[in-house]
Amino acid sequence: MQEATFLILTALADSTQHGYGIITEVQEISGGRVRLRAGTLYTALDRLRADGLIEVDREEIVEGRLRRYYRLTPEGTGRLAAEAARLHANARAALTRLKPLGVVT
Amino acid sequence: MTDTSQLERGYRRVLACYPKAFRRASEDEILAVLMATAGEGQQRVGLAESADLILGALRMHLGMSRSPRAVLNAVRLMCLGAVLELAVLVTVLVTLDSVRSAAIRDFTATQWHTAVVTQIVPAVAGTPIIAGLWLWLAWANGRGYDWARPAFMALFSLVTIAVLFGLGEGSALYAPADLIAKGVVWLVGLAAMVLIFSKAASPYYQQEPAQQ
Repeated sequence: MQEATFLILTALADSTQHGYGIITEVQEISGGRVRLRAGTLYTALDRLRADGLIEVDREEIVEGRLRRYYRLTPEGTGRLAAEAARLHANARAALTRLKPLGVVT
Repeated sequence: MTDTSQLERGYRRVLACYPKAFRRASEDEILAVLMATAGEGQQRVGLAESADLILGALRMHLGMSRSPRAVLNAVRLMCLGAVLELAVLVTVLVTLDSVRSAAIRDFTATQWHTAVVTQIVPAVAGTPIIAGLWLWLAWANGRGYDWARPAFMALFSLVTIAVLFGLGEGSALYAPADLIAKGVVWLVGLAAMVLIFSKAASPYYQQEPAQQ
């Protein structure tokens, strides 16, 4: 799973979000490192919807502009959980091996 | 006219690159996001923004946002195939003198002239068309049209025949660089063939176009 996809799914893990909300959440989760552009975001959202990992929760009109809110599907939640567990296991293994070198605490 | 409306018109012009179905469903939504992320006082669409949107539009036109991974990779390979066809053309043109030097030992002037007229000229003239076919079939396969797979198989057969014909005509001896370049194109085509006819890809081609 690409990092942007992982971060988008993470942004939707505990609440529904609209497009701009996803961009700001992803920026916050990544500590400002990843700033999604609209074209990249909507290509990813289109793919995630096609794969059945996210779905539209509701639509609102705010100040005359359309906001479409997205949420994770059960399949999306499962895929995110599996990916998070995989990354966690990899990170733990790396940290265990680095510890004797004294480069991590 | 306000700056905001000027910027909005600029975004709409770039969004016009997207497929109609996407624009019908999501243009207002993506426009709202673009306006929300625009910088303070921004009046024009930035270069990086334009590039990002155009790339997104291209991916959607090629079906790369919705196709399964196998088809997605096949589409990438077909785009690469188009680029490599043009690389073959450059190789043929760049190595023409060395091919002539190698062939001059065994060919008479008339034979060389015939080879140029019947083989090299058609190959050079036809390469842009073949590259266009790679791109067209990348688009068609990305969209999952059921005719796209047999059509690509036909193109791949053509590429195979061209490689075999080149071998038969002694390209290994006279034009090894051209043969290697064509061989690379053939391998890319083979990989794309394997992907579009894989189990993972097949269901995608059996859907109604409206579902894709």
